[in-house]
Amino acid sequence: MNKKYLWFLLTSFLLLMPGPAAGQEERASRYYHYRSTEMSTGIYEEYEVRPRGIQPIFESRAQPGIGISRVEDEDARAWNRMFLQDAHKDLRFYEQRRCVDCHAENANNRHTIRHGITCRQCHGGEPVASISSYTSRLNPIRQHTHVCSKCHIGASASFAMYRIHEPNPAMASTLDVFPFLFYAFWIMIAIAALTFATFLPHTFIWVVRELFQRRKKEDEV
Amino acid sequence: MKIKRFTLLQRLFHLLLMVSFLIQAATGVGRMYIETSFGQALVAPFGGFYGALAVHRWVGLFLLGLFVVHLLYLFLVVFKNGKKSITGPDSIIPRLGDLKPALQHVGWMLGLRKYPPLDRWAYWEKFDYWAVFWGMVIIGGTGLILYNPLTTSQYMPGWAMNVAFWVHRIEAILAMGHVFIIHFAIAHLRRLHFPMDKVIFTGRAGLKASKAEKAVWLARLEQEGRLRSVTTGEASVPARVIAYVVGFSAILIGLYILVGGLLNVRYITW
Repeated sequence: MNKKYLWFLLTSFLLLMPGPAAGQEERASRYYHYRSTEMSTGIYEEYEVRPRGIQPIFESRAQPGIGISRVEDEDARAWNRMFLQDAHKDLRFYEQRRCVDCHAENANNRHTIRHGITCRQCHGGEPVASISSYTSRLNPIRQHTHVCSKCHIGASASFAMYRIHEPNPAMASTLDVFPFLFYAFWIMIAIAALTFATFLPHTFIWVVRELFQRRKKEDEV
Repeated sequence: MKIKRFTLLQRLFHLLLMVSFLIQAATGVGRMYIETSFGQALVAPFGGFYGALAVHRWVGLFLLGLFVVHLLYLFLVVFKNGKKSITGPDSIIPRLGDLKPALQHVGWMLGLRKYPPLDRWAYWEKFDYWAVFWGMVIIGGTGLILYNPLTTSQYMPGWAMNVAFWVHRIEAILAMGHVFIIHFAIAHLRRLHFPMDKVIFTGRAGLKASKAEKAVWLARLEQEGRLRSVTTGEASVPARVIAYVVGFSAILIGLYILVGGLLNVRYITW
């Protein structure tokens, strides 16, 4: 075969190959992305997630259900689970547990208590995805269309901002996660308390005082 | 002898407010206490948990309509009577001059002072009126927010409904506590009006009792020579019977909700 012909083939093959482009930077791996950040900024050794080997193991276990079996080491890494497609991946004895064994406080919502809606009707069947997982039905990008609209036809993204798992408005911790609710609650409680603190004793003393008041018979009040 | 204290329209306002308030209380408390048999009994006449919500919504709209009509009535009164209806002695608007009789009334209750000279609307009556007025604004506003969540979420973020729900609930508890304890005690339990002050239904207050209770008002009427025109006879027997039946029915319903609510408060999820 002619050498010229080979050169022509090779050149045209190279020309047909897609060229390098900035937009095609590898973003899928958070590790590589972080490495490139390190290299471009010169700031090293700052990890969002500490290496698994030296994860802290928390001692206090206030939540019910936790501590029955040896899930402590998985639980300590629980915030790695925020983005998993299977939020309960590798949890030991997972099959024997109910949702409320670990998520007890999340059952206290009006959807469950007043309307009998179960966890899985919104969170889906197995594998239950973390709500921040890109593919989760409860990810805010599709929550309103895939979950809320099943009952509330026409639900919008704004509608989905209603807090199903509403924090207890009386708790000081609510000030951090839902300050509007905290302030509205306590202002209303203050108004109610002030009214009752003034007018309950006022009325009581008044009723007692009139026991000593002569009633004008002829007038028939 | 009796004296005209409330017009027909004012009595009608009170009756409609009373009936719709009791329906709202029964349906609202019934839904809140749905986990207990007390709550289930309360919503039963309205078609259960979901029927009660439908009734609560319609009666809520009716109440808001009533409030709008009342606002129109207020404007008409001010338009007809002019500045006198705001600053005059017959006005329901609180003023600094109410403070002295109020303190003297408290002193009288404690046995320290003589009974104060009160004008037509005493301080506790003014407080009751404005408590209902602003209560209607708060509870009606949050009720409208919760009326249709889908429409609401077009104008505000969904979490506004979490806030509105709690404001609605606390304001409702405040309103029910005030009516079922304080208002009932003042209108029914005081010895001078026991077992019931019928004035809001018949519109007529006792002349001598009013002279003792609202001395300034009666003196003013006499001085202006209007006393003869506002005196009237006793209400007819059927009117008095109806007043008692309506009044005591309201007492029974209110006390049932109050006592049931207090007894069952431990058994509900908030």
